[in-house]
Amino acid sequence: MTAARRERAWAIGILAGLGGLAFLPLVARRDDVLNFVFLILLSITLAQSWNIVAGYAGQVNLGHAAFFGLGALLARSLWIGGTPIVLAMLAGAALATSFALVIGAPAFRLRGAYFAIGTLALGEILRTTVGNVLPEISTLPTATIAGYRLAHRYYLALALAAVSVVTVAALAGSRAGLGMQAIREDEPAAEASGVGALRLKLTALALSTGLAGLAGGLFGYYHISYYPSHAFSPTWTFDALLMTFIGGVGTLHGPVLGAILYIVLKEYLAVRWVDFHLLIFGALFIAIVLLLPGGLVQAATRGRRLFARGEV
Amino acid sequence: MLELRDVDAAYGDIRVLSGVTLAVGTGEIVALLGPNGSGKTTLLTSIAGLLRPRGGTIRWEGEDLATVPAHLVVERGLALVPEGRRLFGGMTVEDNLELGAFAPRARRHRAEGFARVYALFPDLRERRRQLVRSLSGGQQQMVAVGRALMTNPRLLMLDEPSLGIAPRLVVSIFAALAEINRAGVGVFLVEQNVQAALTLAHRAYLLESGRIAGQGRAADLLHDPHVRRAYLGPLAVRT
Repeated sequence: MTAARRERAWAIGILAGLGGLAFLPLVARRDDVLNFVFLILLSITLAQSWNIVAGYAGQVNLGHAAFFGLGALLARSLWIGGTPIVLAMLAGAALATSFALVIGAPAFRLRGAYFAIGTLALGEILRTTVGNVLPEISTLPTATIAGYRLAHRYYLALALAAVSVVTVAALAGSRAGLGMQAIREDEPAAEASGVGALRLKLTALALSTGLAGLAGGLFGYYHISYYPSHAFSPTWTFDALLMTFIGGVGTLHGPVLGAILYIVLKEYLAVRWVDFHLLIFGALFIAIVLLLPGGLVQAATRGRRLFARGEV
Repeated sequence: MLELRDVDAAYGDIRVLSGVTLAVGTGEIVALLGPNGSGKTTLLTSIAGLLRPRGGTIRWEGEDLATVPAHLVVERGLALVPEGRRLFGGMTVEDNLELGAFAPRARRHRAEGFARVYALFPDLRERRRQLVRSLSGGQQQMVAVGRALMTNPRLLMLDEPSLGIAPRLVVSIFAALAEINRAGVGVFLVEQNVQAALTLAHRAYLLESGRIAGQGRAADLLHDPHVRRAYLGPLAVRT
């Protein structure tokens, strides 16, 4: 179980890193530093949530934004209405998961690319509907803006990133996680071994969308104003996908590394080349899928192996 | 006891099985022989619940399996070692075996399962932390048989266990099947290596173009002129 032990070491390392970031608000003088790290933490949660269903269970969900959006929508309106934010976020997550379970059983009748296309369509339908029903920009009430504390958002993001890492670490070491990986590798063979695929895929989807709903709630809590349909934008799906693939799909630390690299690169490229950064990420994604399907994690393994060979 | 009655199966418009009737008794070793494309794999995947037959009934211990999903067929004591092994190559030997003990009934017998598989294939105990894809074909076949045994089956179905394996390892896998059977587990074997299959089995069926073309005691079939000509000609013996 060397792989499992390495995963556990990564989990401890990542949690220690997150623990260290708890001191950042005490030393950082500027808000833009906190905003930047907030974005990374939100991205870690989002990427990790996508990683559960796509990386571990092998079901490429391209409608992930729908669950992020549902979480944002409900959590924000409850919170503005006076519900404590943590309760509001949990309600948003519950909504996202319930919706996932309702559409999950029919969606999982589709396999492979058909599942991906089906979920993509679902996400777009929700985005368009929300855009039509709620076309007005959502802005926080003046009183709420006056009491806005960035540090609250930051700590919530930190806690949520830790929750996502712990969730995935627990899943990866569990029987359910093993069954999910078997489904990812060969679903009929998993079924023939006695692994009930539908139930495990629904479990993965429920966990994944629950986390995405929490991340959405955090997004709704963070922003002063945005169009409600923006939280349903396919960007959320594809950002999560890119970060996960860049880092290493189906691993615990891949999405964390991917999220950090993606956000840092995106900020840097966006400053230099404005909208060209999308083109660059597109090319990067294709290069990774073709040359390095295991992402940074695989690159590190290959590097270690080369290094070991050089030493002999 | 496994009973098939008038089973028809098809992929789209292509009919693969027509009116197949056969039975495998408790604790029996039965071989299913037939040329490539005669429907042997289709028959096994239908029994395992991975493919739904178009007609006829498949009964196991008296229960109709028509609507039982594949993972619950396993739970009822019917295990399949699929064609080409279909292992989880990126996982360790141990994790592959663990997956065989996934269903609740198998999980209760998990420790015995491991002991039984490692006693049968001591090689696998030494290699339990290795990735399956790094093993030889014969060792992989042992993992495949082991994974099916971990489900704690009463009937073990195997699809071409000798395919692409060194002759020495074929011998040890067939010896393992005999030993599994001595513990009371039935064996339903699809095999191209007719000589080895008929030597191991008690009875056999011949499947040709999706129909049962003959059946009998294995010892009799081994000396049957039609079987010898069709299955044990100079080319067939080469394995």
